[in-house]
Amino acid sequence: MSRTVIIEPVTRIEGHARITLQLGDAGEVEDAKFHLTQFRGFEKFCEGRPYREMPALTARTCGICPVSHVLASNKACDHLLSVSIPPTGEKLRRIINLAQLTQSHALSFFHLSSPDLLLGWDSDPVSRNIFGVMRQDPALAKDGIRLRQIGQTIIETLGGKKIHPTWVVPGGVSEPLTQEKRDAMLALLPEGLDIAKRTYAFFKTLVPKFKDEANHFGSQPTMFLSLVSPKGHLEHYDGFLRLKDAQGRILEDMVPPHEYERLIGEAVEDFSYMKFPYYKPQGYPKGIYRVGPLARLNNVDTCGTPYADVALAEFHMLQESGPIASSFHYHYARLVEIIYALEMMERLLKDPTILDARVRARARSNRYEGIGVAEAPRGLLMHHYRIDDEGLITWVNLIIATGHNNLAMNQSIRQVADAYVDGNNLQEGMLNRVEAVIRCFDPCLSCASHAFGEMPLAIELKDATGRVVDTLRRG
Amino acid sequence: MDQARIEGRKILIIGYGSPIRGDDAIGPLVADRLQAEGMPEGVEVISRHILTAELVADLVEHDRVVFLDAAVDGAPGEVRCRSLAPDASAMSTMAHFLDPRELLAWCETLYDKVPETFLISACGSSFDYSNYVLTPTAEAAIEPMLDWVRRLIDPSGCVSWLSKPTDGDATHGETGSPTLIL
Repeated sequence: MSRTVIIEPVTRIEGHARITLQLGDAGEVEDAKFHLTQFRGFEKFCEGRPYREMPALTARTCGICPVSHVLASNKACDHLLSVSIPPTGEKLRRIINLAQLTQSHALSFFHLSSPDLLLGWDSDPVSRNIFGVMRQDPALAKDGIRLRQIGQTIIETLGGKKIHPTWVVPGGVSEPLTQEKRDAMLALLPEGLDIAKRTYAFFKTLVPKFKDEANHFGSQPTMFLSLVSPKGHLEHYDGFLRLKDAQGRILEDMVPPHEYERLIGEAVEDFSYMKFPYYKPQGYPKGIYRVGPLARLNNVDTCGTPYADVALAEFHMLQESGPIASSFHYHYARLVEIIYALEMMERLLKDPTILDARVRARARSNRYEGIGVAEAPRGLLMHHYRIDDEGLITWVNLIIATGHNNLAMNQSIRQVADAYVDGNNLQEGMLNRVEAVIRCFDPCLSCASHAFGEMPLAIELKDATGRVVDTLRRG
Repeated sequence: MDQARIEGRKILIIGYGSPIRGDDAIGPLVADRLQAEGMPEGVEVISRHILTAELVADLVEHDRVVFLDAAVDGAPGEVRCRSLAPDASAMSTMAHFLDPRELLAWCETLYDKVPETFLISACGSSFDYSNYVLTPTAEAAIEPMLDWVRRLIDPSGCVSWLSKPTDGDATHGETGSPTLIL
């Protein structure tokens, strides 16, 4: 008798997702689906607004990485203006983007994933949380807080202490950097880099313990999509699109981001409000790819900073050859990127032109269509607008990182379920592993996907008539 | 709080809430008003959309912390001031939104140091979209909230009876000490 397992996070506020596992007669997994059940409609209600409002409007898309939306949106506006950003304005934008990446990755590693990594997947769920981490390793927990504080302080130093800073504007940034602020930010970075390096060194000692998870947490072959610099270096702000296949062959390279529609199609399924982007030449759903830290490190030839390049070389040793396949190693990639971000911020802040006064180009709209692409912490973020003669928005398309990873997340849930779920004997550790594979991607489904590992869950086994035959609840 | 600590006191005021969800903006708006009127030495004012983990590092650097927030569990316009104590059971399942009592529990667990903490809240009546615009009822609550802040940052007018948490019929980590309603 076939049965359906429903994993339903009952979140208190925004961000709702559900997982369903379809079980066969013998309790084996026949199908797995990841449902985003929340509808927001940003693309629709932005229509009719002046394009200059878009950075502020779209920043509200996300409470955790508004800086990423501000940057992608302003880049789309730059395109509408048809201006080139003054070099110093671009460097300053890069710094705030890297600060955002630092604090976002720190949240993912230290606060969301460390309970599993330190305390174990099958540990008591009552203490498998951030307080459990604090008791087990208070120094690690303090490092996480401090690293986030450093990232947030740099964001506030540049953008101001307003809730939604308006420092990044179409054409550049609104104010140049002062020497006092530059020095204050530089003073933070050595401590941040020390934290990042010792956390990375610590995590390397943990990785061998998770061989089984690495084998089953989303390790199926997919392509990888990211920005790279013109030289093939790690890139988070600009550059070109590169797509590699699972064997490491470059399928697309140096594609201007404005041509993204040539590469990416978007499918829709009736079980989720999240779209299903795919690589067009391979069709849907075969054109599955991943974005984010794992994709970025798999795609680049080098990071371009000293310590991050050492870590990148060690990252590639996680596997005998080819791109690193397991989504479990998103954690590893995040730590490498934190090192990179801190090194690169220091380099940019020490650039002799960083205090230049010319940081903004001014123009009115000169095009009807603008596309802005940047790397958010979780992966490629694309803003695409069309406007009329009055500068009012007539059409919007947003492709966020979590959307790019949608097919891969669904595939990963299926793999974890195949490996760990026994439909005849549900265990809490099973639920935790299903959550954990989602957590590897650090999806931004607002709150639901940012649970601390005690995401309230109800899991029900139903028979073919819909009768509940078994239930597990948590939270 | 002993006299020496009051004289060298460092106070942090945190207004939090969504600026585009109607009366939820009252915390940041009161923080803005405080910034505009200027704070005495040793008093820092910040605004946050939400409370996040890195704030813990700021909290432990201060002797007294005052949170400013909107509430839904009372008559619209009602202003309350209560002391808060650490409460790990207030742990949020959301990584990017933390309860102030959970933040205090982080302080206690990690740093063995908890600032004296107060929550000043005003009950809102509408949380629909509006950008930094309050309902008239919430607008009228701003001044009483400011009054509370002024009392809490004035060393000579220290609200000592509120600062000593007691075990009472408190719920959700509230201290059981008297709650003042204006």
